Amino acid sequence: MDKPVTAANQLDPVTFEVLRNAFVNIVDQMAEQVRRTCYSFVVYNRDFSNALCDAEGNTVAQGNQDLAAHVGTLHYTCKAVIEEFGADIHPGDVFLINDPYVGGTHFSDTRVLLPIFVDGRLIAWSQANGHWADMGGSVPGSFDVTAKDMFKEGIRVPPVRIWRKGEYCYDVARLIAKNTRDPDAIIGDMDAQTQAARIAERELKRLCDKYGVGTIETTFAAVQDYVERAVRLRLAELPDGSWETVDFVDQDPSKAEGLIPIHVKMTIAGDAIEFDLTGSHPTIGSIYNSAFGGTFAAIVSGMKTFFPDVPLNAGLYRTVTVTVPDDTIVSARWPVAVTGFVMCFEKIMNAIFELVSRIMPERAMACAFNIEYLQTGGYDARGAGRPYFMLYDWLAGGWGGRNGRDGLGVTASCFGVGLMIQPVEGQERLCPVRTDRLQITTDSAGPGKWRGGVGLDKAGTILDVENCVFSYFCDRERSVVWGIEGGLPGAPHGLWLEPEGEPARFLGAVFSDVPVGKGARFWRGTSGGGGYGDPLERDPERVKEDVVDDYVSLERARKDYGVVLEVVDEDLAEYRVDEAATKRERAHIAAARAGWLDEDPEQIAARYRAGELDLHDVVRRHGVICDWGTGELLANTTRDFRAQMKARCLPSWN
Amino acid sequence: MSKVRVAVDIGGTFTDICILDEATNTLRVQKVPSTRDPIDAALEGIAKAGVNLADITLFSHGTTVATNALIQRNLPHAAVVCTEGFRDVIEIGNSTKADLWDAYQDNPPPYIRRRDRLTIRERTSAAGVVERSIDEAEARELAAKLRKRGYRAVAICFMNAFANGENERALKAVLEAELPGVAVTTSSEVLPEIFEHERFSTTVVNAVLQPVVGDYARRLQDRLAAGGYDSDVLLLHSGGGVMTPKSTDRQAARLASSGIAAGAIANRYIGQLCGYPNVIGFDMGGTSTDVSLAWQGELLTTRDWYIEYGHPICFPSIDIKTIGAGGGSIAWIDEAGSLRNGPQSAGSDPGPACYGRGGEEPANTDANLVLGRLGAGLAGGDLGLDVARARAAIDMRVARPLGMNVEAAAQAILRVANANMADAVRLVSIMRGYDPRDFALVAFGGAGALHGAAIAADLAIPKVIVPPHPGVTSAMGCLLVDIRHDLLSTYLVDSAVADAADIEREFRVLEDEARERLAHEGVAEASMVLTRSIDMRYGGQWRSLTVPVLRPFTNVAAAVEDFGAAHQREYNYRRNGAVVEIFRLNLTAIGVTPKAEFARHAPGGAMPAPRSTRSVTFDEGIQETPIFWREDLPAGVAFAGPAVVEQFDATTLVPPGARAEVDAWLNIVITV
Repeated sequence: MDKPVTAANQLDPVTFEVLRNAFVNIVDQMAEQVRRTCYSFVVYNRDFSNALCDAEGNTVAQGNQDLAAHVGTLHYTCKAVIEEFGADIHPGDVFLINDPYVGGTHFSDTRVLLPIFVDGRLIAWSQANGHWADMGGSVPGSFDVTAKDMFKEGIRVPPVRIWRKGEYCYDVARLIAKNTRDPDAIIGDMDAQTQAARIAERELKRLCDKYGVGTIETTFAAVQDYVERAVRLRLAELPDGSWETVDFVDQDPSKAEGLIPIHVKMTIAGDAIEFDLTGSHPTIGSIYNSAFGGTFAAIVSGMKTFFPDVPLNAGLYRTVTVTVPDDTIVSARWPVAVTGFVMCFEKIMNAIFELVSRIMPERAMACAFNIEYLQTGGYDARGAGRPYFMLYDWLAGGWGGRNGRDGLGVTASCFGVGLMIQPVEGQERLCPVRTDRLQITTDSAGPGKWRGGVGLDKAGTILDVENCVFSYFCDRERSVVWGIEGGLPGAPHGLWLEPEGEPARFLGAVFSDVPVGKGARFWRGTSGGGGYGDPLERDPERVKEDVVDDYVSLERARKDYGVVLEVVDEDLAEYRVDEAATKRERAHIAAARAGWLDEDPEQIAARYRAGELDLHDVVRRHGVICDWGTGELLANTTRDFRAQMKARCLPSWN
Repeated sequence: MSKVRVAVDIGGTFTDICILDEATNTLRVQKVPSTRDPIDAALEGIAKAGVNLADITLFSHGTTVATNALIQRNLPHAAVVCTEGFRDVIEIGNSTKADLWDAYQDNPPPYIRRRDRLTIRERTSAAGVVERSIDEAEARELAAKLRKRGYRAVAICFMNAFANGENERALKAVLEAELPGVAVTTSSEVLPEIFEHERFSTTVVNAVLQPVVGDYARRLQDRLAAGGYDSDVLLLHSGGGVMTPKSTDRQAARLASSGIAAGAIANRYIGQLCGYPNVIGFDMGGTSTDVSLAWQGELLTTRDWYIEYGHPICFPSIDIKTIGAGGGSIAWIDEAGSLRNGPQSAGSDPGPACYGRGGEEPANTDANLVLGRLGAGLAGGDLGLDVARARAAIDMRVARPLGMNVEAAAQAILRVANANMADAVRLVSIMRGYDPRDFALVAFGGAGALHGAAIAADLAIPKVIVPPHPGVTSAMGCLLVDIRHDLLSTYLVDSAVADAADIEREFRVLEDEARERLAHEGVAEASMVLTRSIDMRYGGQWRSLTVPVLRPFTNVAAAVEDFGAAHQREYNYRRNGAVVEIFRLNLTAIGVTPKAEFARHAPGGAMPAPRSTRSVTFDEGIQETPIFWREDLPAGVAFAGPAVVEQFDATTLVPPGARAEVDAWLNIVITV
């Protein structure tokens, strides 16, 4: 071990460790305050984050329970405020910003910043960031997937002051709140975040009284150095080299079908790491673009998953270099729409999972399901008053299979693992929508020696409504959740709608403002995680246990794993592995499967339409992607999907 | 032989027995090693203390039986029946993980596996209207399957059953008829509260624990009765009261934190005794520290707790924050060079380096020993401590890497440990709007009295109270409790249109049920105390606050005003004029049991001479320090720090500059 980090800056080791923990404790206290007093249920369900930054805006401490997608962006917004106001920052001021083009994520993530002064000098900033339920724009919830620029998305707030020297700027607060669909809740959240920021101010001042402001400022720098040092030591232990992969957003809805690539090349040299996203697709005609802030957050979050115990602060960010030319889907600039930055965010994170799996096999992990939100907005006609309602619903799903164990089942998306699923009973009370089922989907998990975690299936019925519309915000309907090391894909995302008295139709994974009326039924699922390793090597007893629990069906046990089971007693859920038949089935699959990936995709699509093949056969056996409603082949999409699937499977299939 | 009350607190390593003599009101303690069947150790300890079971008037008990059964999945074969489409509620949970970033860390699996989660077609709306009733034939078919599978317990968990439990009751009736001997519980009777995951989870925990706890309570009762004890066994539960074995069918899950509630109760009681209605309990043991808080004589409670992450138990519970820091917490230097403390612990085996059982990592106990704060004997001298090993461990792992001498390194270790613990106390106090300066710190557990003064100084808490038997204070807490039930009713209405008379009616319904439950446990009408409270929140807010209300309930506006004041105190702001929503009605039903009274000692004894002196290193420097024996210190004496007070189960450190006095109940009260 090298010399202790504290030797360099004359801090005694106790003061350093005590203050290091105290800074995190301050951020934890902010989080408690926000969660207990917030108005937006999105915030309540943990779509928020807090930070303590130094006088230059560098993050000193960020909460360990914070949402991944905010990680690595709070210092940018702090610096943006400093740049805007310069010397015009005073005790008693409070600022607000939601601008994604200066390092934020999307308009919904609104940050309240409070400068902390000691003895008349600015020494730090506290920052409370929450996802507000609505920011105005063309659709409830401010997620209009058809937006191509920011003007349909919501209100853009550059750095503004909401408190001036202790006086509340009621006019500014109202200007923001009145541009949204729920002004009261917006003011409530603004208050809650401001109070949280004040808690940090109070606590930091207490520390300054006790240790002296000079020690506090020295420690701000020391804790960043400390984290940088820890990360560099880990990086130095990893092999030098470059690794690259590509993941895809489903489509540019304004263009012909075809996957939209995001290239990620990771280079480790000594104790430094670089991510080069050159080669990623230009910005697309939807909200699924990311500005630099969101992209940087994805990279930092991907790294954090592999060094989970490393605290979050600017020291971590200093070890990373990100290279990306302007105006790609991951480096969009004003006024390109970026509300859906999280779609790119998750692709980058999963790409990093794959790359790091190659050099840290003990932490290997295949692809996770894609985040999804179903937004229902309209008038509740169940009683008098007919209030406007917004139901903003997201599901959990499966994460990728891991080295030596199955993936995490029904877990929040990697965009924010702390994001809690909502109780159905709460939704039914507040909104005229009944949930008819919410359960684990059999066969949703990508098969593998270690299968992915399982995904969910949710179905509902629209009750008494007026002027009600759906918007759906998802991806990986076509860029289906993938396996690694020979593991197979999960299942395509997408929503089905069955208006009363009409046949069901497939609306896909991304749409906006679709009218829905009373009696309409609808359902959608989340994918399980991708598989890790060759499913033909999975222990047949594990497959049997999965069948007992209905995680896997008898049919897919045979088709995906080559495991043939006999039913001993259905009432008791007892099965037995037919060893001989299993051996035969596995040999048959092993001999044929490479060929299945080369079969004519048009023929596969035709057999799918004819009902000869089911969805899992088409994707997992043949690597073919169709319009899942009509069964029409998506030729360009299939070409790219197959190429990646072969690259991830063939070398591992003996 | 005079009559005695006995409290037994069964821990992982030791079983503590507290015996209160009813004639003299004096307390004595007996410690015996825990046994595989915990009842053996309890009876053995009682016998060892020379107590005849027939002389016991009241036997109360904190047990880890339920906790251990959950953690080890040592549970009966049980099933849950859910509304069709909702069999996975307890597996989905809220979809988060305990550790957000470690993708190789998994949540503990549900207590009932998916194969044992069955469904039936039925539905009740959010408004409580039955949209589809149970089909009798389907119910009988289901019962046949359940019978064939041989379950011992079945939980019934239906959607929106909090609003109307009719379908749950209908299925229960069928199952009870078809499956004699099987324990059937429903979510609407266990926890009639909105939010399916919390309700289902609580119901399932209750269902799987009911046979475990029921069997245990019956065996304990039988063995005590065989020896001549003729009252009910009282079982301590998470809400800070006791229940009799008769209540375990509906409330078994409340016993899942039986073990740690006792310390909080003792904390509150000692505070009241000494005239401090605001106390923070600091119960520091070998591997962890439990922090509790009483404000104006009431312990903070929570509905947000669990034994294992993802499986909430939503009965009201004393709010206890457990920190992974204790005497055995290990000091280490991380890869980037910072001095850390815990959360790894040396535990009791191998234990800190000074135990001489092969531990090579320095623990807080080693640092205390090296500095002379702790003497070289623990647990009454049965276990000698090896100073040389402690020094060697600190030297190797901390002092050398940091370029310090061993004493300085030991001080550094303890300062980091104390600061971490003070931060945790800060989260439960300052965080909720409580100012530590308004509190006294009650320091107990094996290591609490050694660290209490330092923690208090860090938090500006002016007084530290060290009870007479710090190491068995938790067991004593078991002697201090009443029978307690907490009932609630989800009641959602805007306060502006709330009807006080209707709320009063709803409270009466709860009261009738409470009286029935207490009567079932043999509590006389005169000993029943029922108190009411209402949970409220600002319209649109997600968390609610609890506000006490009077009986009869007549004034909604006054309750709303109290809510605003509570919000101001707890969260630093209120919103006058904003919509306030009533969320839930609560009723606490107490069956007052005759309480232990501790002997009061008249002051006047002389200050004894110290047994010895030794050199002790404090933050202020090395000082030759008098060492007192606790039992030598009579009520009324006062002395100045530095001083060390030793006794069989703990060591109290009075730092330089502090003053200590012994009060009428033989507590040492330190003014920091």
